[in-house]
Amino acid sequence: MVNPVELDGVTREFGGVTAVQDLDLTVPEGKFTALLGPSGCGKTTTLRMIAGYLAPTRGRILLDGAEATRLPPERRNLGMVFQSYALFPHLTVAKNVAFGLRMRKAGREETRRRVGEALELVGLSHLAERRPRELSGGQQQRVALARAIVIRPSVLLLDEPLSNLDARLRVQMRQELLNVQRETGVTAVLVTHDQDEALELADLMVILRDGRLEQLGHPRDVFPAPASRFVAEFLGYENFLTVPGHGPVTIRPEYVRVLAAGEEPPGGTLLSGTAARVTYRGTDCLVAVRAGDQTVLGTTAAEIRPGDEVRVLLPGDRLIHLPENAPVPATAGDTR
Amino acid sequence: MRRRPLLTALCALAYLFMLGPILLVVAVAFSGGDTIHFPPEGLSLKWFGKALSQHSFTSALGTSVLVATGATLLALLVGVPLALAVQRGRLPGRRVIEALCLSPIVVPELVVGLALYQQLMVGLRVTALGTLMIGHAVLLIPYAVRVTGASLAMADPMLEEAARGLGAGPVTAFFRVTLPVLAPGILSAGLLSFITSFNNVPLSLLLTGPGTTTLPVEMLHYVEFSFDPVVAAVSTLLLALTVAVAVVTERLIGFNKVFGR
Ligand SMILES: Nc1ncnc2c1ncn2[C@@H]1O[C@H](COP(=O)(O)OP(=O)(O)OP(=O)(O)O)[C@@H](O)[C@H]1O
Ligand SMILES: [Mg+2]
Repeated sequence: MVNPVELDGVTREFGGVTAVQDLDLTVPEGKFTALLGPSGCGKTTTLRMIAGYLAPTRGRILLDGAEATRLPPERRNLGMVFQSYALFPHLTVAKNVAFGLRMRKAGREETRRRVGEALELVGLSHLAERRPRELSGGQQQRVALARAIVIRPSVLLLDEPLSNLDARLRVQMRQELLNVQRETGVTAVLVTHDQDEALELADLMVILRDGRLEQLGHPRDVFPAPASRFVAEFLGYENFLTVPGHGPVTIRPEYVRVLAAGEEPPGGTLLSGTAARVTYRGTDCLVAVRAGDQTVLGTTAAEIRPGDEVRVLLPGDRLIHLPENAPVPATAGDTR
Repeated sequence: MRRRPLLTALCALAYLFMLGPILLVVAVAFSGGDTIHFPPEGLSLKWFGKALSQHSFTSALGTSVLVATGATLLALLVGVPLALAVQRGRLPGRRVIEALCLSPIVVPELVVGLALYQQLMVGLRVTALGTLMIGHAVLLIPYAVRVTGASLAMADPMLEEAARGLGAGPVTAFFRVTLPVLAPGILSAGLLSFITSFNNVPLSLLLTGPGTTTLPVEMLHYVEFSFDPVVAAVSTLLLALTVAVAVVTERLIGFNKVFGR
């Protein structure tokens, strides 16, 4: 089986800045891959190199197993959805979607049929004759998606496609995006800095840090086992502790039990401290506990007030060990 | 309106100030009398007839249209690619190029005219018509660059990339996407250029010669010696032409797009 996209030691420099460094990546066919990482980590640069808008400084790009490092974008057969949508303002919705088919010299009848299908898939058949500026943000987003998939691209590339939508619409569009991907079976590569988006959509999550690959895997494998403090922080872990007998660990606050004085510990590592802050959350309370020189976030069902002497229970099977000193890439971080 | 009497009065004055002279000229053009005089003595179309039958005016009109058209096309031909290069290109010294092509606005027209006169007409023996076109084009390039550049700045630079990604080569992407998106800007640059050239006096004054005179210059010469309403009739015809162009523009693309966006 050939892979739709393979990056082989790809590096991209801008002047003195290394945006992407020595990246090896294989995008699995028919799956949803998410490139994830904080701002400036090289996500867009990576996507633009795959699309052919940027040439790598070093390294090779293979598309469907064939050398494509220097291939211009128009000869790659990829579908790109831009953050700004980049719809052609002088064309109607239908003609926007038909653009790629016209470039491929598809027949009139075939074009009409496929544009119709694509618009139906994104639920916009009734707006075919509108101009982009007469559409809402969400509708423009769908047109951009239809325009990209109608050409049956070997890979669908999406650069933060949902970031211009309001929070509610974003969550709804996520699901629609997933539906379209599942229905068409297209290989998709999504760039995002929103870990929830990546967790929900991705079959393969690729976490970048300063232009380098930090961790890679299925969300179900990555989320419970972040390989470094960087990944853990990025995925929303908040407790970073040094526990006697365990070394540096992280643990989600939901698994940390805060015990009021007199409560019987069921077994596990115990730390003693003072409740510093208590936040009521409906079903339980989130408690920040000062224990020695560290702060532990945990939850409790008991009545605890700030200032109370408490103990904190860390179940051993929930502790995630973080490597003593995760290899810090000495790249973009220094030069920037 | 009732609450702002001062503002209303000022507005009325401003309108009177701007439109008054124009209305006067139009009224005089329809005069039956023999001199420029207000109120006009009687009503007639004879001055229009006389204007249109006077060879010096009709041939000057022909020259003006020819010069304005040629100069506009020349200016667009140079200005649009320049605007594209300055805004989108990566060529070194873009700022210098931009400053250079805006400089004709700053340099006095008479200086430009004199330089062209010496270099082209005397030096290279270019005809008066050719020199006029080139001279006007030089004058118009800043407008072409500026107006086209403004609409280019408004357009999403990702559009071309989107077209490329969908299978269009660089040339196809330019003609299918970049150019159509810029069309209203180019059209308004063209109209502005045409009218600017058509109304130009200082540069034309230096570069016109016997047999090759533009309409405004011919009118200027005419009023030096005659004081009849023919000039008013010609002005009225020009006014009608300008209004017609404006109406057509409005119908075609809308003013808000030409002057607003
Ligand atoms: N054209 C360019 N010229 C110079 N530096 C660039 C260019 N494009 C990107 N960079 C630099 O490369 C690094 C990676 O940029 P990139 O746009 O890929 O980040 P990103 O992960 O997409 O970030 P964001 O989430 O903010 O979009 C940044 O440090 C950026 O400043
Ligand atoms: Mg980006």
